[in-house]
Amino acid sequence: MATETQTLTKAAAGNTWRICEFDGDGCKQLRNMGFCEELKVRKLSNGRNIICVTCGTKLVLNRKLADQVLVCPA
Amino acid sequence: MSEDAFESNVVALVGNPNAGKTTIFNELTGQNQKVGNYSGVTVSKKVGTFRTPYGRKMDLIDLPGCLSLTAASEDEKVTARVLRGDQEGESAPDIVVCVVDASSLERQLRLVLEVLELGLPTVLVLNMVDMAESGGVRLDPTLLSEELGIPVVPMQANKGKGIIELKQALRLPMPALSECHWDGSEAGRMEKIESVVSAAARRSDGGDYSHTFSDKLDSWFLHPISGWISFIIIMLTVFWSIFALSGVPMDMVDGAFGALGDWVSGVMAEGDLRSLIVDGVIAGLGGTVIFLPQIIILFFFIGLMETTGYMSRAAYLMDGVMTKVGLSGRAFLPLLSSHACAIPGVMAARTIPSARERFITILIAPWMSCSARIPVYTTLILLLLPGVSFLQNALMMLGIYSVGVVTAFAAAKILRTKIPADKEASHFLMELPSYRLPQLGYLVRHIISRAWAFLKRAGTVILGLSILLWALQTFPKPKEGSPAAEDSALALEQSYMGVAGKAIEPVMKPLGYDWRMGTAVIASFAAREVFVSNLMITYSIEEGDDEDVMNESLRDKLAASTWPDGSKIYTPLTIMSLLVFFIYALQCLPTTVVVMRELNSRKWAIYQLVGMSGFAYLAALCVFQIGKLLGFE
Repeated sequence: MATETQTLTKAAAGNTWRICEFDGDGCKQLRNMGFCEELKVRKLSNGRNIICVTCGTKLVLNRKLADQVLVCPA
Repeated sequence: MSEDAFESNVVALVGNPNAGKTTIFNELTGQNQKVGNYSGVTVSKKVGTFRTPYGRKMDLIDLPGCLSLTAASEDEKVTARVLRGDQEGESAPDIVVCVVDASSLERQLRLVLEVLELGLPTVLVLNMVDMAESGGVRLDPTLLSEELGIPVVPMQANKGKGIIELKQALRLPMPALSECHWDGSEAGRMEKIESVVSAAARRSDGGDYSHTFSDKLDSWFLHPISGWISFIIIMLTVFWSIFALSGVPMDMVDGAFGALGDWVSGVMAEGDLRSLIVDGVIAGLGGTVIFLPQIIILFFFIGLMETTGYMSRAAYLMDGVMTKVGLSGRAFLPLLSSHACAIPGVMAARTIPSARERFITILIAPWMSCSARIPVYTTLILLLLPGVSFLQNALMMLGIYSVGVVTAFAAAKILRTKIPADKEASHFLMELPSYRLPQLGYLVRHIISRAWAFLKRAGTVILGLSILLWALQTFPKPKEGSPAAEDSALALEQSYMGVAGKAIEPVMKPLGYDWRMGTAVIASFAAREVFVSNLMITYSIEEGDDEDVMNESLRDKLAASTWPDGSKIYTPLTIMSLLVFFIYALQCLPTTVVVMRELNSRKWAIYQLVGMSGFAYLAALCVFQIGKLLGFE
């Protein structure tokens, strides 16, 4: 599965992904917002900011931060 | 913990932003604290009291929304300090009520575990259980209680369901907290959350996503084209409504004050006391209170955007614009709030995690035109463009507001290059709450409380200033038989106000203002709202039944005013210069005090006051002098 890991920015919108790991300076901010490994996240849209849904909550994060979230297929 | 049953105990409400803490606070205490459907409504702790079914008095603290006890923003630090008992002058709470949105247990239980690790007696409130269940979450509060070792109360706070059960759960002494049986590390907490959620909050659909009504609305409101069209239409509607819907109530207020002035004039003998009441108190208050309908309409729309959840969508859209000047969408909410009043706007900046962005937002917030400027703008627009339609008025107002916004953004871009970057990186990350129907009861209470605050200000500061201004323009009284005794304009010129106005005229003249306008501008540094009433007083406009007649009368008097060489004082260029001055000048001492407190820096608050007022002077000077050079009148 490791080969299928990609950043949330590059992951296709409209699909559900599983968070594998975080990599970058925004790690603490992501964890504080409730993102964690193994959490399922549904990516809703691409764009300058990425909209996703996790645990029934819709969140928006910028691309720099989404680049730090590594996801794999759920 | 106190042994005395009659002594009050402290209960703290803790939870993620937008989990419904303030709604629970209001339900428990019967207060009317501000509730919004976006994060950051509570930026400082609020205190109230209530009694449990056992008769025990409890002090309830509503703490700012908090994602983690190790969070970075200022409002979150308040929460962490209070819970740890590190807040100056306060001990740790006796009971903590952790409020979580039942739809997002996986995300929000992390904070609950952090609170439990502090060893404080805790009750968990599962709020919005109806929405969680309709979203496919199968909740088992009993199992959740067993897993966490604390009482769990399901609740629908917005409908008042579960409040009695919560009060019953707040019994003292609370059962001893069982020892935390998870590893206090990040991985340990995640493992615990996973086990709790898989047992007590299973998602029946296996986590698959289904489109909700909110998503359908978002596909329109967040769309790159339709989203912006909606945003512009909403903003135009707000500004159009301020003018179009306020006409009738403004005429009614005006008529009431006019009738009151006539009645007092009829029943009182002529003299200083009658002059004080009619020309000072009634004219001064009437000139301010007449704008109450416009202020109510502005607060109605801001309240509507907050409670429905649209405010966060506007922040999302505006992030693209804000990023260009070095801010993010997080700064949009404080800046939009500043259009109602700069003080809550400055305080709302606490929710911005980046210290640099917060600092810049606070410094530029007063350039967002606040509601106190509405009376000034309205009068000046009418003087500049008499007889225009509501739509033209609204567009002109939108243009004035835009000048403040654009300048503020330019200042933000410059400031960003001067202020050092944050030690810890901060990115744009925010929640988009589900849309909710506005709670009309709350909206009405919210508007009444804002209107009352405006009237209280009118009845205190503005009343006092009106009396002072009346005294300054009435005394010293001209001697009997002197030319001034026969000529009211000459009497005004010889009054204290006239003398002071003449003294500052050399400073004001380059902006195009004579001594009368100069005194009105100086007086408005105490409160902007008195500008209009001061003009009415200094130009001896009598309080009448018809606002249009009064404005026409003021316009005629301004048009007839001339310099000693016979040239006209007030031209459209002078009015433009005045408009520019009022857009930029920081004429609100309470704002300076709040900025001083929020930035913890007297130096920066004074820089802001002097800098903005100096900029206002220079900008008005440029408009007038360059306009004159270009041949405008």
